[in-house]
Parts: sequence; C-alpha cells; structure tokens
Amino acid sequence: MKHAILFLCLALQGVSPEGAQHMQAGVEAHKQGRFDLAIAEFRKATETDPNLAEAFLNLGAELMQIRDNGTAVAPLKRALELRPDLDAAHLQLGYALLSLGYAAEAIPHLERVHALEALGIAQIETGQYQEAVANLSDALVKRPNDPDLLYYLGRAGGLLSKRAIDTLLSVYPDSARSHQAMGENYFVLRQMPQAEQEYREALRQRPDIPGLQLELGLVYAGAAQWSKAEEAFRAEVKRQPASAEAAYRLGDALLKQGKVREARSELERADKLQPGMPETLYSLGKAASLDGDLALAEKSWTRVIALEKETSLAAQAHFGLAALYRKQGKTAEWQREMQEFKRLQNIIEPFRSEPK
Amino acid sequence: MRSRVNRRDFLRFTALAAAPPIFDLKLPRGLDFTLQNSPTPQKYLIETMPGGVALLDYNNDGLLDIFLVNGGRLTSPMQVPEKFDRANPRYWNRLYRQNKDGSFTDVTEASGLANAGLGNYGMGVAVADYDNDGFPDLFVTNYGKNILYHNNGDGTFTDVTAKAGVAGGGWSVSAGFFDYDNDGHLDLFVTRYMEWDTKRSKACGGAWRTYCPPAEFPATTNLLYRNRGDGTFEDVSQKSGIAAKKGRALGVAFADYDDDGFMDFFVANDGMQQYLFHNNGNGTFTECGLECGAGLTADGKPMSGMGVVFQDYDNDGRPDIVVTVLPRENYTVFRNDGNGQFSYRSLETGLAALTSGSSGWGVGLEDFNNDGWKDLFVAQSHVLDNVERIDPSLHYLEKPLLAINSKGRFELADSGVAVPLAGRGAAFGDLNNDGWVDAVVTSLGGPPQVLINRRGNQHWLTIALHGTRTNRDGLGARVRVNGQIRFASTTGSYLSANDKRLHFGLGDSDTATVEVSWPSGVRQTLKDVRADQFLEIREPEQS
Repeated sequence: MKHAILFLCLALQGVSPEGAQHMQAGVEAHKQGRFDLAIAEFRKATETDPNLAEAFLNLGAELMQIRDNGTAVAPLKRALELRPDLDAAHLQLGYALLSLGYAAEAIPHLERVHALEALGIAQIETGQYQEAVANLSDALVKRPNDPDLLYYLGRAGGLLSKRAIDTLLSVYPDSARSHQAMGENYFVLRQMPQAEQEYREALRQRPDIPGLQLELGLVYAGAAQWSKAEEAFRAEVKRQPASAEAAYRLGDALLKQGKVREARSELERADKLQPGMPETLYSLGKAASLDGDLALAEKSWTRVIALEKETSLAAQAHFGLAALYRKQGKTAEWQREMQEFKRLQNIIEPFRSEPK
Repeated sequence: MRSRVNRRDFLRFTALAAAPPIFDLKLPRGLDFTLQNSPTPQKYLIETMPGGVALLDYNNDGLLDIFLVNGGRLTSPMQVPEKFDRANPRYWNRLYRQNKDGSFTDVTEASGLANAGLGNYGMGVAVADYDNDGFPDLFVTNYGKNILYHNNGDGTFTDVTAKAGVAGGGWSVSAGFFDYDNDGHLDLFVTRYMEWDTKRSKACGGAWRTYCPPAEFPATTNLLYRNRGDGTFEDVSQKSGIAAKKGRALGVAFADYDDDGFMDFFVANDGMQQYLFHNNGNGTFTECGLECGAGLTADGKPMSGMGVVFQDYDNDGRPDIVVTVLPRENYTVFRNDGNGQFSYRSLETGLAALTSGSSGWGVGLEDFNNDGWKDLFVAQSHVLDNVERIDPSLHYLEKPLLAINSKGRFELADSGVAVPLAGRGAAFGDLNNDGWVDAVVTSLGGPPQVLINRRGNQHWLTIALHGTRTNRDGLGARVRVNGQIRFASTTGSYLSANDKRLHFGLGDSDTATVEVSWPSGVRQTLKDVRADQFLEIREPEQS
C-alpha cells in the first residue's frame, strides 16, 4: 500500500499568516526528507489554525510516512470532520485503518475514492469475497502484471470458492456434489483411495453429472491404475462424446496400456474435436509412431513444435522426431532434432541432462 | 457403498483365482541372515541402497550356495574415520552352503569371508572364475574399498585385492565379470554411484526429512579392470574411454547387442541418461545411449535407472534391455531393433501399465514357467522409507513384481509373496536342481526371501558351459536353444550375481537344437538334445 502525501495549496482562505508559515515549513521539510520536522510544523499549523482541515490531513499523511499509522488516524478523522468532502483524507484514512486491521471501517473511505486494490483487500478481510474479486479484477485491468494484485485476486477467488464448498458441505453433506468436492480435495492431497470412494458415491447418487467420470479417471491415472482409468474415461466419453478432453484422456490411458490402435483412434477424434491441443498432438504422435504410421507421427510432432516453443513438450516432440529420423536413417534430420532437443533440455532441466 | 459384480468382472476374478502363484516363499533351515542397513535420522544415502545376493556353487558339489552382502553399522552422526563395526558378526557378509536336504549351513567364518573390512559398508557382489581354475571367485563392492576373494578350491577364500589391484574406492555398487577383449581372461567392470561420503551427506525433503535425490551430489566415473591373466588387473578406465563418461551408475549388464563378437554393456544411471557402451573391438568403448536409442524414454526424459537385465525378451534373437526405475517413470524396455538400434517399448509390452506406480531394483528375465518366453521378476520398494507421508499414493514396502511373458507382452502374475517388503537385490537360479528357476530377494532390515518355483509340466534344458579357449565358464557365449537366445553371464539385476548356468524353457518340445557361439569365435551345434536335463557343453579345443 502506498502512502500518498498530498501537500495542499497554501493559498487557502482564512489561514493565518503563522499557520501558512508552518504549512510552508512542513512542505519544505518533507521535500528534504526531514519527516519529524515536517510533522512538528504541521502539528503547529493545526494548533495555530484548528479549523484548517488541510493541516490535519498533512499531519496524518506525514505520520503515515513514518509508518506511525496509529497516530495518524486521529488527525485524519479530524480533517474529515472539518471537510467531509476531502477525498485525500478519505484515502489516507482508509489506508491507515486497513493497515491497523480495521478493514470494515476502512471500506467506506476506500469506496468513496475508488481505491480498488485496497478496497479489495479490505473486502477479503471482511469476508466480502465476491466484491473483492470484482474490485481486484477491475484493478488488474489497469495493472495487469502487478504481483500484489495477482496474489490478492487469487486469494479472494480461493476463499470465495472455499466458502461455497464449505456451505455445500455443511448444508448438503451427503449430496453428490459434496462427495465430488471431497473427491477433488482428496485428489489434490494424493489420497487416491479416499478420492475414489468419494467419486464413486457421487456417481452412485447422480451418474448424470458431466465430468464426474473424467475426474474419477484422473484419480485412477494418478495412481497408475490404467485399466480403471480407461473404464472411467470411456464412461465420460459416452456421456460427453463431444468433449475433447475426455477423448484425449481416454486415448492417453489406452496408450499407457500399449493399446496403440485404439489410442490412436481416440486421439485423432480428440484432435478433430479441438484442433491444436499440444498434449493431444504429442500423444497422437506417439501412438502413430508405435502404430508404424511415421508420416502421421512426424506431422503431429511438427504441429506440437509449431504451437509450443521452449517448453518441455516441445523438447519431447523434438526427441520423438529425432527417434523417427534415426530409425529412418535420416542422419542430418536426426542431428538437427537432437540438437534442438538438447538445447531445450538445457534450458528446461539443465541439472538433469548433464552429469555434474 | 454397494459394489456390483457383472459377468465380465466375475470371469476376470475367476481367471485370477485360477492362476496359482509361481513360487512358494520359503525360509530354508539354516539361512538366518538379516540385512543390516542401519537406518539413521541422518538419512545417509548408503543405508537405503544395499544389499547384494549371489547364487553360486562355491564348492562344486552341484548345489547352489547363497552369498549375502551385509551393510554395516551406522551411527548418527558418523565419525571420521568411518567405521561400520564389520568385525561384529551381526554385520558380516555371509556365505551359506546348501546341504543335500535343501537346508543351509553358515560357512562364513570357515571359508574366510568374515572380514569385510572395518571401513566398508557393503553393497553388492559379482561372481566369476576370474583365474579359470574351475572355482567361482567373489568380488564384493562397498562404500569404501572393494574386495576380491579368490576361491582356493578347498572351501576357503583368500582376500587377493591388493595383489589384484581392484580395491577401487568411493561408492561402488553393482559389478560384473566379462571378457571384453576376448583373450580368455575375465575382466571386471564396477559401477560407482556418485561422489558422496557421510561428511558431505545431507537430508532433503524439508519437514519430511528424507534421502536426497542423486542430482544433489556430483557424478563420478565407473571402473574397468583388464585381467592380465596372472592374478592381477590393470585399471583401464581411462584408456578404454569408460572414464570419459561420468554418471550415477547403479546397475550393469553385458551382451553383444550388435553381434560383432565383442561384449558390450549397459549401465543403469540414476536420474539421468542411461549409458550403452559399445565395444569397439580394440580395447576401447563408445557410449552411444542417445545415438542407439537406449539413453532416454520415448519422451526424451531421463530415468532413475537402478537394476538392469540384458537378455532377449521377444525371442527375435537379439538381446534387449530392461531397466528398473522409480514410480511415474515406468520400468523401461529398450527393444533391440537390429543394426545397433533400440526403441523404447514399455508401452507395447504392457510393462508401463504394470509398473508406473512401483520402484524396482533387482531384476531378472527368466523363463519361470518354462513356456519358452522369458518372464520378468523385479524386487520392489521405494527408495524413501517415509514416502507415504510425502505421497500417500506411493508405498515404501512393495511385493515383488512377477510378470509372465505372453509372446512379448507382460501380464501380471502372483509371485507368491503375500507381505510387502523393502526389496533390493535379486538373484536367479535353480536352487533345487529341478529344472525350474528359483529366486532369492534381499530385503532391507529383514531376512532374504527364497522363492522356490512350484513347477509345472513344461520341458526345460539347463546348460553349463565349459570353456577351453574361452574363459572357463564360457561367460559371453551366445547360446541359442530352439530359437531362443541367452548370453552367458552372471551379471545383471542389481548388486547381485545369478546362477552361471543357462536355463531354457522348452514348452511342449522334448528335444532341442543347441547352438553355442563361443567368444573365441568357435561355433558349435548340438541336435536332438533331450529335454529336461542338465547339459554340460565343452568348447572344442581346436576348430
């Protein structure tokens, strides 16, 4: 959070000469980085002109400059008593209150001046996750790569999601959706038997939910139980024949079991459903290579390389092409692909490719 | 939740129930060994790596004996100089002589094998008759100095390491004898893991505190010793080109993969590219893992190579490579496509689907059901003894894998081991001379598992080679029986040494045609050989 000091115009109506002098001296001291002196001058200004809102604002802002936010609150509040329309004071007070943990009190001030980032953070603190997500998303439009914004938006989204799931689990603990949510949770924790149990129960209650079989299949895949994974993915494909992901997952599970022909067919279908999915193309290249269709393997891996640049998938595609050319005795092409593979390998995983 | 069984499931269960285990798990009388790896809170890497087992007939009485390598005592932390309490009988390596009734007698002390070296933490064992005197000798690898024990032929061994010049140093793991220059004298290759010692040790895994991955420590060189034929060896690691490739080697296996008459070898490296050393026939080797298609997975990924076997799984007459690795990597099959080229075949062979959640160590390709196809056996267990806390879907203790070879595709079978264990070394041979291959598996902190084959009705043939111009046991010979081939070798697996005899399942055939290509270049064919016998083949002394 930034401390925005606003030094107000000194040509103010009704300011005593002594007060104006202290204000001027405070501004000068601030410019020189002599914050204690600035605080002393602004404090004198508030004593000389106790109705000068700008003097209280400057005193508060200067106190925040030295991170004494607790002390800053009183002069800032006084500034707003004197001039409720003083936006700079709202901003400073909002920041000060938020930094002290008074998020709920900070919100009206931050709302008034549309300080979206701070407002979003305050809303996270007060449990207004949905509003926080909206405000932080808006802030992110102006500063797309701000790490703080990205962090808080992620946190707000996560908490919003957690709240929804918590509500689901507490209100409908034995519902299919609750079991699905628990299955997802166990899957993330890599507790596969528990995840399987939850998904099975969800499916028993509502076999019609799209994606459930896919998630169950991923659990089996995570536990390297490929025949069970195949069964689940096959069920998902039956439920959602137009799902490219289901087709890809089924193809990959078949490939893992060495069922090359079936894998190839399913991966080709996935590619038609959603062209240009690098993972699908990579696996299709493998299946085609194992099936002896070197032309399709070459085409698929070449497409991967066109889509992916310096990624591990691109490195794998180069390696696949190298193996293809090696078998065909195309030395120059083999060398070219190996060179590119090694280059990418060194970028991606340098410590693993070369012994120390 | 109610589970329903449909007709297809029912048939599947019925089929599984109908297939009995291949082995009976035995604890033969007298085999009272416990592998002492001494795990400590320090998480010294050596404590998760032993120990080897060898099946050899040390006294030539026709019965296989068992040699077991022990770890040693570790303190937390270790002091310098490192001592592993190897004088304490609890930490001895052990030689067990097999008796006629199948029981064993501990002959460690009487045979002179009690002294394993105070500064040595035991790892593996290689077996061969390096001086061609008709008795198998022992080479024990250590974290420390390696030891060569010469078999005196009278039931005793003598430590001849100093004279032979093969002590090496550092952290040696698997080793094996082979005749790389075809001079009739067996040479010695020793894998070394990494530059590591207890002082440089560290734990990884943050709060989980566990063993570090190999990449945390520098790679090192392997060792190649040329047998001069006079009881001494010359270190040719540099001269041969072997030392030019640093690695993190755990396993080694030999075969002449390109049929040029010179033995090549494959080195299983942990967490990096695998090495295939092609024998140039002039005393040097060229590493061609990447160029030959046996260096990385089909996805171009390095793997955690641990155990390795170099035999022909698909009966096409060419030796293939199987490497055991960590979970999510799939045990690797590099199929020999001919012309010096290999291709990754873990998917098509079904091995990927069977093994992607397992960690493999000792490995054998043996025809356990004598149907004419070599099956796969793997000693399994994760490296990390607390892996369940880090990833609940993985397991430290695992049952061994037995995969029956169905015309080149591996299918899961019941090994007969019901209780998971921390499997490491594994050796294969016919312990009871019944024509059916048995297995011995070592287990960290536990006794060895002796798996006796339950037998069936198929025919078999077991061949013992007697070299005359070639080394005494004919190691390196290529033997073809009814179309199947084996390379004579005691090396392969992990840390372990197999029965030197060559076993072939013959299926329904009650006769066999046997062709032997000796390393000397002599070729020999025997026709109409009766099945179900132990056959000794002597190399013709003159062509």
